[in-house]
Amino acid sequence: MTRDPGAAPERTRLAWRRTGMSAAAVALLATRPAFSPGAGPAEWLVAAASMAGWAACAALALQRAPGLRVRPPRTAARTIRAYALITTALAVIGGLVVML
Amino acid sequence: MTKYAVSGATFSTDQVNNRQVFGGLKQWFDPESAHSEGTTPDYRFSLANERTFLAWIRTGLALIAGGLACAQFLPPLPIARLREIISIALLVLGGLVALRAVDHWARAERAMRLGVDLPRSRFPAILAIIVAIGAVVLVVTVLHRVLA
Repeated sequence: MTRDPGAAPERTRLAWRRTGMSAAAVALLATRPAFSPGAGPAEWLVAAASMAGWAACAALALQRAPGLRVRPPRTAARTIRAYALITTALAVIGGLVVML
Repeated sequence: MTKYAVSGATFSTDQVNNRQVFGGLKQWFDPESAHSEGTTPDYRFSLANERTFLAWIRTGLALIAGGLACAQFLPPLPIARLREIISIALLVLGGLVALRAVDHWARAERAMRLGVDLPRSRFPAILAIIVAIGAVVLVVTVLHRVLA
């Protein structure tokens, strides 16, 4: 199979990368209260949960990458649903950060 | 491989077994599991759909980050709890965008498999209006604070 002139797999891989960076920004913002002087176990737990969410995002992107390197590239289904779920979970974790 | 119908859609045995293993959440998201109907579209279309999904996820993450930033960096606002209300509103919006992103991705994927029109959606317009209203509210709040 000839190389795809539209570079679709490469663009998709980069899209995963920048999405991962956005997720990192969210996770860091959710972790920030854990480093304030008055932080307690609640803040630590929320920070741990948000870091776990970010790690899961990174793992999903890592899992997706090999499928985009082969020709023809494989399409994703479960990875996409899992990613959306984790993003929603990050929103819930963010809600906890605001409520604390 | 035998094919049989479940609630109007046709599945092969492999796919049905797959559904049993990964049942629950997957079905909750997408009753018509991907790769079950129609023909597999050109991979470039599927990857474009995937990138659109990721762009929506970034939109959702940006809203979530905005909500967190509001809660952590805004000074207390003249109206009680307004800061927390703005934060929670942004977080809810972010979560909704993420859920809607995966729903739209699944419907677009299904439309491409069946060769029908891509799903149309009012969601971008609604989101734009909500964000615009939010911006106007913030401008009024800031002006109120500056002038008071």
